Order: sequence, then structure tokens, then C-alpha cells
Amino acid sequence: MPLVLDEALPLLPRLRRHARLLCGDAARADDLLQDTLERAARKGALFHAEPGPTRLDALRNWLLTLMHRLYLNQRRDAREALHDSLDDEDTPQPLVHEPQQQVALRLDLERALAALPAASREILLLVCVEELSYQAAAQVLDVPVGTVMSRLSRARERLRQSMDGVAPARPPLRVVK
Amino acid sequence: MTHDDHELDDATLHAYVDGQLEPSHAAEVADRLLRQPRAAQRVLAWREQREALQALHRDWLDEPVPSRLSAALHPPATAAVVASPSPPWPRAWAAALLLALGLGAGAAGGWGGHGWWQGKQQAAAQAAAQAAARAAGRDPTVPEYVRDAAIAHAVYQPEKRHPVEVGADQADHLVQWLSKRLGAQLYTPVLRDYGWKLVGGRLLPASDDPSVGGALARAQFMYENDAGERFTLYVSTGAASPEAPVAFRLTQRTEGGSTTRSLYWIDGKLAYALSGNFDERRLRVLADLVHARMGMIARAASSP
Repeated sequence: MPLVLDEALPLLPRLRRHARLLCGDAARADDLLQDTLERAARKGALFHAEPGPTRLDALRNWLLTLMHRLYLNQRRDAREALHDSLDDEDTPQPLVHEPQQQVALRLDLERALAALPAASREILLLVCVEELSYQAAAQVLDVPVGTVMSRLSRARERLRQSMDGVAPARPPLRVVK
Repeated sequence: MTHDDHELDDATLHAYVDGQLEPSHAAEVADRLLRQPRAAQRVLAWREQREALQALHRDWLDEPVPSRLSAALHPPATAAVVASPSPPWPRAWAAALLLALGLGAGAAGGWGGHGWWQGKQQAAAQAAAQAAARAAGRDPTVPEYVRDAAIAHAVYQPEKRHPVEVGADQADHLVQWLSKRLGAQLYTPVLRDYGWKLVGGRLLPASDDPSVGGALARAQFMYENDAGERFTLYVSTGAASPEAPVAFRLTQRTEGGSTTRSLYWIDGKLAYALSGNFDERRLRVLADLVHARMGMIARAASSP
């Protein structure tokens, strides 16, 4: 059955956080979410899922798909697209590989996430935060499952690096007794 | 020493951390991780990262959604009609509350209406049906001891001053005592490397449960992490089908707005239920871990 638009209301707080973590900017995120919802309202007839336990998940995944497609278009349009490679995960991140900068770049999680390439941020948010299956994440991003897995692996490593940096070895965690 | 000791590959480890593996495969991975400290280290780091990401700005979930966003859902033609009653509905806690109520009301909401309120009810009923189906879908006949376990969890888990009868400082005595009362050797796995430490345990009376025989004494062990989260491991003797392969089943119950999920399984003569107030995936990882470690202690104890 097609979309009843109010069905999406309980999903909004989560989608909004998703957009904010994705964009790293509250105003841009709300614009992105608004575009997403407007598009959903126009294309609601295209959403089909059986009533039942999986319908709300299906709706969330559909809205995430719309959002990530819009986000991709934005990045294509933006000037920064020159630096922020959309699909290619191999583009070196010059800042992260400058040894002198790494100490300064020990970031807290939020800033580290914001500093990741967009493709890394997308995959971490979809898989870790929204807890999508690899299959569902592949559909949202319109890429093969293998790409989801390789992006995820790189994203995890990048995030770890940018948080640990080459900071002096930390004392062993927890000496709790 | 066994056939499965080759190194776990990264793809498997990622899938394990992300809960993408079938429960039986996940249990096998958990077991192998015990013998592969380097892989276990990676898993631990990724899991911490994953949990940190999930915790990132949970506070935003409680912020009211601006009306321009909820209004955006309505196509221009109907926006004027439907947008007028717009209370600050979509707050995460409100959704959670409805979900809890929905569990009680059942999934009878149906799909008839298109009104504002029905929309909410549908969404909530659906979430409830989803939760109920997930709980009941695997096995509609949840054994009585699992319900006892969930109740015991709900009763003692929030307890500040007396969460346990015998504390972990007397761990040896605790295990000996409860083993004696239950008439079976019990074990309390060490989970410190995963951030969980034993708080202690208590003896509990059994209710009448034909599915696990006539044993009257039950044991509950409680674990806690640095964040103050707790889970309980409930043990009952007299399992009816000691030869059955180990299978983890899930159930959940909601009381006072808080949902207790229990994963339960039978291993040999003992029936276990692991209960916690967190999501299914975390619970599964914990159950895998607890099961694998108890098996390891048991094997070590029984070998000469």
C-alpha cells in the first residue's frame, strides 16, 4: 500500500539527527530534511510496502534513500566536490597524512566524523547509527554490497586514525580493579 | 587444536560487530575470538566506535521538530487542511511512550483511517506489532522460567543498595553456594575485557514450570559496566531437552515504559535467560559471549 504521509512523523527526530550528523551543520541539515520530505510527499505514491512489522523500516529506508540522493546531488553541485571525491575512496586526505598535523588533529568524535570524506560519513551513519543491514545500506546508497563493506572498513580505520592520530601512546586503558 | 582455528577475516569481523551474522555463526565467531586476541582487540575497538557513534547527540532526538519540517510532508494541496493541528508531537520520548502503550493495546489498530491521530496510532501499533512479532515470532510459547527471569531482572536491576544478595567480593562462595542449591555446577564468566564486571548474585524461588522440571531453586547473576548499565543472567535447572542443540531465542516485555529483552537458551541440563534493557543486537553479542565463555570454563574444569 502507498505512503500515508503521517506515518513518517515518528521517524522525523531520528532522520533529523541523521541529517545533522551527515551535514555537520544544523541549518543545512534541516534544509536537506525538508527537501527530502517534500520529495517524499510528491513521490509518496511510489512507496510501496506491505502493512506489517517491516513497513516502518521500509519507510525509513526509503526516506534515507531520498535524503542520500539529494545529499549526493548537493555535493555534485558544490564547489567542494572538486576536493571531496564522491565515490573514490582512494583519494588521499592530505591533512591526515601530514605527520606534523596529526597531533593537532586528534579530534573528538563529532569533529572527526565531520572531517571524514562524505562517503565514509554516510556509511558509518547508516550502518553504525541507524543500524541498517549491509544490504539495506547498499540500496540506500545505490552501490553493491561489496562497496558498502569496503567503504565501511576504510571509514572505521579513518575515524580511528583521526581520533588517535599519532598522539603519544596513551597509558593502557582501565586499570580498574 | 580444532579445525576452526584459522584467522577470522576482516569481513567476518565487521559483520560480527554490525550484527549481520546469523546467531549461530555469531556464536561461533565469539567462541573463536577467545583464541584470537588480536582479532578480539579489533572487534572491541570497532564496537566501542560503533557505540560511541550511536551515542552521538542522542539529545537531538528529544528536540521538537520544527513545524516547517512536519508540514513538508503534506503536499501543497492538503497542507492547509491537515497542518492546522500540529502539537509538538514528534518527540522521541512520545514515540517511545506510544510504543509502550501500543504493546498493551495490541496491534489491533488496523489500517483504516488517514486522520492525524490514526496516523500516529498506526505507526505506534506497527512498531508494537513489530516488537511483538520479533518477540513472539520465534517461539510463541516462552517458557515460564524466562518470564520469571524477566521479572527478576526488572525487580533487581534498578536496585541501588541491594542489587545482589552476595557480592562479587565473595565470588567463589557465591558460585559454590548457588551451585549447591541448584544441584548443578554453575559458572560466572569473566567479561571484564568487554567492560562488564560481576556485581554478584542471588538465590530465587522457582514458579511452577512444567517445561523445566521440578527444581525449586534458581540463580540470578548480575553484571554491570562503567556506564552503570546492567544485565542479569538467570539460571534454572531441570531443562527438559538436555540433548537439544543450543539455540538462542528472544522475548521481551515492557513495564512502566521500560523494555526488558531476554535471550534464553538451554545448554545441557541448565536453562539460561540473559536479560537487559538494551537492543537486541547488543543482547545477542552478550549472550554469544556469555555462552562461549561458560563453555570454555566448563571444558577447562572437566578436563583432567
